[in-house]
Formats: sequence, structure tokens, C-alpha cells
Amino acid sequence: MTAREHDGTFGQLAGEGTERQPLVSDLHLPAAAVGDLVAQLAPVARFADMFARPAEEGLERVLVFTDDQSGGHLRLFCPLEEKFPVPLSLLLPAAYQEECELYELWGVEPGGGKPVNRVILPPSAETEKPLRAPGGKRLSSEVRAPHVVQGEAIEFPWGPIRGAGQESLYLGLVTTGEELLDAYLAMFHKHRGVEHRMVGQTLARALFLAERCEGLGAVGNALAFARAAEAALGLGVEPAAEVTRCLALELERVYNHVASLAALGAATGLSVGQSEAEILLEDCLRLNARALGHRYLFNLVEVGGVRRGVDLAALDAGLDRLEAGYESLVAKLLATNSYVDRLEGAGTITGEVAHRLALVGPVARAAGVGTDLRRSPQVWGTSYVGFEQARERAGDCLARMLVGAAEVRESVRLMRHWVRSGIPLQDDWSAPAPSPWEGGSPAAGLGWAETCRGEALVHLEVAGGQVTFARLRPAAARNWRALDDALRARNVFTDVPIVEASFWLTVAGFAR
Amino acid sequence: MTTSGRDPGSPLPPNTANGDLDAAADQLRERSRTVLRRSLHIRTVDTGSCGACESEIRLLSSPYYDFHRLGLFFTPSPRHADCLLVTGPGCRAMDHAVLSAYEAMPAPKVVVAVGACPLGGVFGADRYTRGAITGLVPVDVVVPGCPPSPLALIHGLLLALGRIEERISPPGGEQ
Repeated sequence: MTAREHDGTFGQLAGEGTERQPLVSDLHLPAAAVGDLVAQLAPVARFADMFARPAEEGLERVLVFTDDQSGGHLRLFCPLEEKFPVPLSLLLPAAYQEECELYELWGVEPGGGKPVNRVILPPSAETEKPLRAPGGKRLSSEVRAPHVVQGEAIEFPWGPIRGAGQESLYLGLVTTGEELLDAYLAMFHKHRGVEHRMVGQTLARALFLAERCEGLGAVGNALAFARAAEAALGLGVEPAAEVTRCLALELERVYNHVASLAALGAATGLSVGQSEAEILLEDCLRLNARALGHRYLFNLVEVGGVRRGVDLAALDAGLDRLEAGYESLVAKLLATNSYVDRLEGAGTITGEVAHRLALVGPVARAAGVGTDLRRSPQVWGTSYVGFEQARERAGDCLARMLVGAAEVRESVRLMRHWVRSGIPLQDDWSAPAPSPWEGGSPAAGLGWAETCRGEALVHLEVAGGQVTFARLRPAAARNWRALDDALRARNVFTDVPIVEASFWLTVAGFAR
Repeated sequence: MTTSGRDPGSPLPPNTANGDLDAAADQLRERSRTVLRRSLHIRTVDTGSCGACESEIRLLSSPYYDFHRLGLFFTPSPRHADCLLVTGPGCRAMDHAVLSAYEAMPAPKVVVAVGACPLGGVFGADRYTRGAITGLVPVDVVVPGCPPSPLALIHGLLLALGRIEERISPPGGEQ
């Protein structure tokens, strides 16, 4: 049975019924069969994640694919061998990062002698134990990918401490003078082991950690976590609570796009544009606080619902002000040639690269790749009916800025629709009580949300009211992989902050 | 809001009266003028933050808060810094970078811990993080919050200036 024969619908692939396609389909395979199936899936589905989990007999490899047409997800489970005969990244280049993670977490080499990069552990931990592998296994320095800068090129180090208010990361810019030839990224400095910390915690405590995994994507990550827990425990969510979640998700999207504009203003040296965007950003954060109780919308989502209702009057009034300010700002920016010229043609990601690296969110949509889970009514119910996906084709910084602008307009339209829909959003949503999962039997679930940076995924396993395994895959974890591709695309030194601002990723989301 | 020059149609968030910001700003301006001859230079370091504290720190220089008018500036070099503004739970992989930055700062210097993370309120001490940064560098001022608002940060910087003043002119001691 192949993916093509069944038109890419995962439910049929997994042998499920055809009348109602499930949102998540599971397929258990022997390790030897994975390569063939992955080769068939790669052209028709988007690779979303790969990780290892402890199983009854050793480790199990889990691959997650997303069908962007239906919004469905497919999980492939297979035994994880110590050395896979062929690295999966040969078939799925996007999976290379996860192969590196598997080595540092569990000591499993990609196979085929393929070297790995350091993504979680610092280079000084050359011969340490893998972070989660039992026994006395040690990492080997021979497995590391070489870091070589030769000839007339030099590596210009930037980080881990960078500009004021910037997250820590190391960016090694390889250059012979002005043009960028290559870039090395290292983000292990901020790895906090959030997934590992969740094990043994209650769902409420683990949800708290999911939010702090990436503060500028707190709603999206918390929502993906809550949905994973709800899928595992069979919990439903009240329609009004679901709409409240969507409102928060769109408010988060808006303030992040505005923050990206402020960063672009700073990166291009357009101080007036930067200041105007920062005024708008502060307005957005204050609107968040008035409407939903927190500037960054923390502590809103919970398993089974939301903690607070919405101040509809404040939100309705704030949306008018926000829309006027945003439209005025974007019009002025696009009329400023010195600004547009810096964005046009900088940091280009082609559609082919976006496909190959399985990019998500505005970065993919700016390259013409239509991935947006909000399109699927199967995923979101009726909340997003009429949703229009923003898309550009050029793949450069300007295209990403334009996608952001279109998404803000659509978010405001959706929020206004929900606010005026008559749904009783102002009710005080309290936690489902008593918690039906306490003392429950083992269960697992997959949750997702289309966050401001793209698809966030959470695979969660619970038993007895506690988390027994968690895998978080924020959108930033997918898209950082493409930054060096964007930087290599005929850019000069001064383009680096512009490209980074247009991606608007968080190091925290990667270094979870 | 008179101190920032913003129009009165942009009210502050709930629980924040304009008077609070004005009063704090006036005190901060006066202290930075007398203690540091008009300026305080700040180096920021992220030791594993979720990114929200960084967002609030960036807004300190935005038109709403505009801390440059108070004699406060970010500096890219720790050698020019009077104040180290630290966020995050103290990821161990950042130890070397944080210590290097701190040691490069000239005396008198002050460390401000920003948010719940560096106080140990989010992540505990383990293989990945210290849980709190107090064991790494001497913390003079803590600004709680998750994240602390720009107004809270301005209050924290005001306290930091007081600590620097003590070090320049210890009460009852020699200069």
C-alpha cells in the first residue's frame, strides 16, 4: 500500500475507515520497511518531526508527517536500531537535525557513517554520555561533522552574547570580505531540557513549562500541548473556549508580526519605521493585557479549556486602533525605497528549499509553499471558515514581510468576526473539575497549532495524572534550519540582521 | 503621558498609572545625572530565557518608555557597561560567556536579574541549568515578573543606580 495509491490520505494508509478520516493515523512498521515508505511519502506529505521514545523493548523511532491538504497527521512507529543502515536524511534532508538530536539524546548514529552536528550539547561535551541513554555509552568526537573554514575565507564570530535584548546564539559568518559564503549556527547555549523536565510532572505543571519553552509563542505551544493532552484523555472543549483560544492565537500572531516589523526597521537603519512599529507593538501588548489578562498571553490555555474569558469591548475597540495603525505603518514602509530595496532579493528561500527542508509558517508561505493548518476545517472546526491563506512566491525578506502584513489583516478580520459572532466569550471558564485523568491508564496524543511561526507539534504520553513522555516541536525548531541557506543566497554582512528579523524565529523554541 | 511624549489616547495597561511611570522616570533621571554624570550603560545577557524578557527589554528604548531620555543606554561592549542585565535560568552552557562579560566590566558594577527564571522560579537546578543565577554572579537587584514589564524594569534600574551610588560613596565610608 502506498501513499500515492490513496491520494495521500493518511487514514487509508493506516487502514482506517474512509467515511470519516481521522486527524491522526498511526502505522507500526518493522525498521526495514521505513525507508521504502518514507521514500513514497516524501513527495506527497510534509515531514514534520522525528524523535525516539522508550518502548517496551528498547527504543522506538517515531516519524510524523503532515498532509497539508487535509490537515491530518501520520505517525510511523518502528524499532530504533543502534545504527540505521542508511541515514534517513538521504531521503528526507529535513530530518538531519533530528538525526543529530537522536545521537546526542540517545547515542544513536544516523548510519552510513554520516557525521552529525552539535545541536543540544556544547562541543566541549565531546565524550560525555548521551543525555537520555541508559548505561555507560559515551559520545565519540569522531562522529562530529567537521567545522572547516579554509583558503581566504575567515569565520567571523557573532555570539553567543549579541545585541541588546537579543537571545543568545552563536553565528559563525564565513566570509572573504563582504559577501557571505556560509554560516554556522550553534544554539546549544540555551538548551534547557524542557521535554525531559516534563516527565513526572502533572499536566498543569507541564503546560506551564510548554509556555515557557518559547515565550513569544506561548499560546501556540500551550495550545498544541493542551490538544495533545485532550487527544490522549478524550477530553472535549466548549465552543466558546475554543474560540477564545483562537482569539489568543491570532493576537499572538499579530504582535509577533508587528515585532518583526520593528526588528526589520532596526536592521535596515530606518529608525522612524522602527519607532512607529514599536509604538504599535506596545499597543498590541497592552491590548493583550486588557482583553485576555497578560501582555504575552501567558496562563490562558489549559487542558480542557481556557482559564479566562475575553474582555470583548476592549478587544473590539483595540482592533480598530490596531488595524488603522498597522495599515498606516505598512503603507509608509512600502513607500520607502531605501527600506524596500534592502528587503528585496535578500535572504531568498526558494520553493524547492522550503519543500526540501519542510519549512513551515510565513517562511514557507513566502516561498510559495501552502502550509497552513488553519485552512483545514477538519482541524479547526468552523472557527476558521472563510480563512484566506497569505502566500507570496519570491521567498525573500520582502515576501516574508508582505506575508506577515496579509496575515495581520486576516487575523484582524477573523477576530472581529468572532467578537461579533454572539458566542458568549465573556463567561468565566474554569478548569474541568474533577480532573478526569487522575489515576488514569496510560494514553498518548498528538496536538498541534498553527502558531505565528508555523505548525507547532506536541506528542504527549500520560499515565496516572502525570506526563511519562513529551516531545515538543515548536515551529522555530523547523525553520532555523533554513537560515544558513537564506544567508548564503548572495548576501553581504549587513543583510544578516535583516534576514534574521524577517524569519522572526526564537532561539528558545529551538533550544527547548 | 508627558514623559514619553505619547498622545493621551494611548493609556497605560491596567494597574499602571501614568504617575507611577513619571515619578520613577524623574527619580531615575536625577539619580543617573548625579551618580554617573548623566548616563548608565547596560549590557544584556540571555542565559536561557524564553524570549519574553528580551522583548520587554527591547521596548525600554521604544518611544513609549524611551529610556535614553533618562540617561540610560545599551552598550554592546561589557567594557563600557555599568550594569549587567541578566535573563534566563542560568543555562550551564552560558556560564563562561556570562562570567567573561561580568569580569570585563569595570567597577563599580551592578547585576540586575530580570524575570522569574534567574530567581529560580521556572526551571530547577540540574544538568542543563543552574536554576538561578545567584550562584554564578553576585546579583544586586532582582526584578520579578514573567516577564517584568518595562515599567518594572525601569524601577529595577533605579534600584541598581542606588547600589552603584553606595559603591562610589559608601555610607559613612571612604570613597
